[in-house]
Amino acid sequence: MLRRLGATASERALFLGLIAFVGAVSVAPLARLLLEGVAPGGRLDLGILRSVLGAPRTWLAAERTLATALASTAIATVLGTAFALLVGATDLRGKSALGFVFLLPLMIPSQVTAIAWINLLGPASPLLKTLGLAPAPGTPHPLYGFSGIAEIMGLEHAPLVFLTLRAALASLPGEAIEAAEAAGARRLRIIRTIVLPMCLPALAAGAALAFISAIGNFGTPALLGIPAGYSVLTVLIYQELAGFAPAAISQVAVLSLLLGALALLGIAAERWASGRHDIRWAQPRTRRLIPLRGAAPVFLVTAWAVLALVVAVPLTALLATALVKAYGLPLAADTITTENFRYVLTEHAATARAALNSLFLASATALVVAVVGVFLGYVVVWRDGVLARALAVAAELPYALPGVVLALAAILVFLRPLPLLHVSLYGTLWIILAAYFARFLVLALRTIVAAYRQIHPSLEEAAAIAGAGLWRRIGTIILPLAAPAVAAGAVLVFLIALNELTVSALLWSAGHETLGVVVFSLEQGGDSTLAAALSVLVVVATAALMALASLAARRLPEGVLPWQG
Amino acid sequence: MRLTTTLAVALACALLSAAAHAQSGKLTLYTSQPDRIAAETVAAFNRQHPGITVETFRSGTTEVMNKLAAEFLAGDPKPDVLFIADAVTMEGLKAEGRLQAYPEADVSAFPAAAYDRDKTYFGSKLITTGIVYNTAAPKPQSWLDLLAPAAKGQVVLPSPLYSGAAAIHMAAMSAAPALGPDYYQKLADNRAIAVQGNGAVVTQVAGGQRMYGVLVEFMALNAKAKGSPVDFVFPKEGVSAVTEPVAILKTAKNPEAAKAFVAFILSKPGQELAASQGFLPARNDVASPPGFPNAAELTILPVDMSQTARETPALKERFSQLFGG
Repeated sequence: MLRRLGATASERALFLGLIAFVGAVSVAPLARLLLEGVAPGGRLDLGILRSVLGAPRTWLAAERTLATALASTAIATVLGTAFALLVGATDLRGKSALGFVFLLPLMIPSQVTAIAWINLLGPASPLLKTLGLAPAPGTPHPLYGFSGIAEIMGLEHAPLVFLTLRAALASLPGEAIEAAEAAGARRLRIIRTIVLPMCLPALAAGAALAFISAIGNFGTPALLGIPAGYSVLTVLIYQELAGFAPAAISQVAVLSLLLGALALLGIAAERWASGRHDIRWAQPRTRRLIPLRGAAPVFLVTAWAVLALVVAVPLTALLATALVKAYGLPLAADTITTENFRYVLTEHAATARAALNSLFLASATALVVAVVGVFLGYVVVWRDGVLARALAVAAELPYALPGVVLALAAILVFLRPLPLLHVSLYGTLWIILAAYFARFLVLALRTIVAAYRQIHPSLEEAAAIAGAGLWRRIGTIILPLAAPAVAAGAVLVFLIALNELTVSALLWSAGHETLGVVVFSLEQGGDSTLAAALSVLVVVATAALMALASLAARRLPEGVLPWQG
Repeated sequence: MRLTTTLAVALACALLSAAAHAQSGKLTLYTSQPDRIAAETVAAFNRQHPGITVETFRSGTTEVMNKLAAEFLAGDPKPDVLFIADAVTMEGLKAEGRLQAYPEADVSAFPAAAYDRDKTYFGSKLITTGIVYNTAAPKPQSWLDLLAPAAKGQVVLPSPLYSGAAAIHMAAMSAAPALGPDYYQKLADNRAIAVQGNGAVVTQVAGGQRMYGVLVEFMALNAKAKGSPVDFVFPKEGVSAVTEPVAILKTAKNPEAAKAFVAFILSKPGQELAASQGFLPARNDVASPPGFPNAAELTILPVDMSQTARETPALKERFSQLFGG
């Protein structure tokens, strides 16, 4: 058996290490949960499976999940691609700032974004009222239902496409573009026939990430779907969980199985799309930017106008809520206050603790999943086989399920003391970290795999012939070529993990809160203004960290900071 | 004489230390109380029982109950005390044999409806559901005002598919003779919309998205006290109520400390604390907080908790037929 894993001892070690990691954080919890679906309480009983899969509402919800996920993926892909091309492939002025601002929505809690849009387009909208366009009071809200869910999730997930594609553009061979230019090809033609096909794996990876995120998204469909009676699978799962029926976990397990099946569709589509062209490139690369020339001002104005809408709307709403004395009051001279900021900064004891916890969790998760992603990506791209594919799918699934389901699965496995070690992770920060490893591995993996698909195997083969061992080949040939993608994956994971809520909402314990949990607790206690103030602080602090990284960019390899042009 | 005094003192010391020993150590509390309220409650309890270290897990009711369900399944439930939204949920746990009776609990000052007959769970307060309205709209008086043409498309209510309190509210409304069993049908006909929970209701009404909401009183009164443009009405037909019960788990690792906690919640100081936090106390010898009508003037629509626990699936089914989902 061991022989079949790989040709050399180091390859076997690589496979065993990956199996151990993915098995522990991802396969074990999900398998334990699924067991509850087919064998509740340990006895085989397909009754729940049959009743859940036999219910028409299950299939209606699955259909709606698929429809909203596909539509939102299309929106996210168009928006993310447009911005990635502008920032990564053109000579647009100020494009680093453009990329920087485009990433900010990743740090705004998704319910804040959804509520901001609900307010902006609803009957009470201050903007629409001024323009005389506000819908009549009492009419259905334009965002409730299918199109609203698809649109808002599309905006929400566009940065995922942006980040993966941006990383691939950083290693685009400039020679190919130069040759096309010399042959007299126009800019659009270059983008259509060279840039996009060469980035197809990344584009497919970004779209797949947006698709999987949409399938597992609960917050947006809950806010925009429930009022319209439009339930997707994650909302059905939450209904089961909110009912506290003894069989709830089993039913959730079956519904999760269905979500997993939908996610596999996305994975299959991604594989199909990225295998269509051979875009591997063996020569060293030089950057070559596409000159925008006379069209530059048009692009500049359009891009910033779109950003103003997509980023400014949620950000202004967040800031306005954080600065007002009480939720619902108009922001005016006599209602503006900094008291909310003062309270969360100086009086709310949990803030500092949660900030440290989240900072640690996000950094550790980003670091570990990027490292694991480098090795797992190697196996997925160059040692493709049943085992490699199984590992990739196992890395993918935890992200396609709502966070609460992953948290339940983690409790089922990690509550009891670990075998051999005899200590339990439960009630510590480590159980959150383990769940984060499972949840966010795919974000790094997808980005890295897309970059590997651009690398020609001849480079590594040459090194192998020259006698370089596996670790050396990965360290000196592959890693330098894929560095922008590895960094993009790590940054993506860091930004998302820093604000994570749904997993930690079940797994935190006294002293081990995360920022997401503190924001959620404030919100639930009716303190929306305090919750907004804390969210603003998180956005500002993260933006400051990103700005610091930009200052240090000259010392970093080119293309490592995903927002830099 | 001196000998007896010494003996008496020694005996008293021994008893005291035994009592102190019995009520010390770690107490694990799972609660869905808002953060600040939970912290105040624990602090007040600790002033009486400094020897007990309380570890609190606080989250939404759904999150708390699912964490607990997973712990049951994994075979090692952690909490000693559970302090959550409603009696229907407690009925479910009682039926599964998860709760421990506390027969010595002093319930003499409580109305019989406030606690479980078998003394496995005890209501700590009355959280009533009435009508919140945006002050830009005319003040409603009755539940029937939500069916008027002026309220068409203007009513938002928490969905019983996600909230136990909302399920109890639906049961109470449907059983009230003044409103009739088809009250929810009429609400749906008047284009009322359902949202996930109470928090979303107050956001919509305070933000002016909808003018009227079905909401628990303390959230509305808190928002009003902070200056949000909302007010709250106890409609004339009456209000539904949940009791935020407290219970000891059968698997409690520190049952003595758990009993001390429950006793504190039910004690007069514990109930006065709840009143000072803006809740209607369940004890009849503690005054209501400002903003509430006198207990005598308040009509609580009756609900049979164990019957509601059994009928909840049918109730949810009817709701999702009316409102979708």
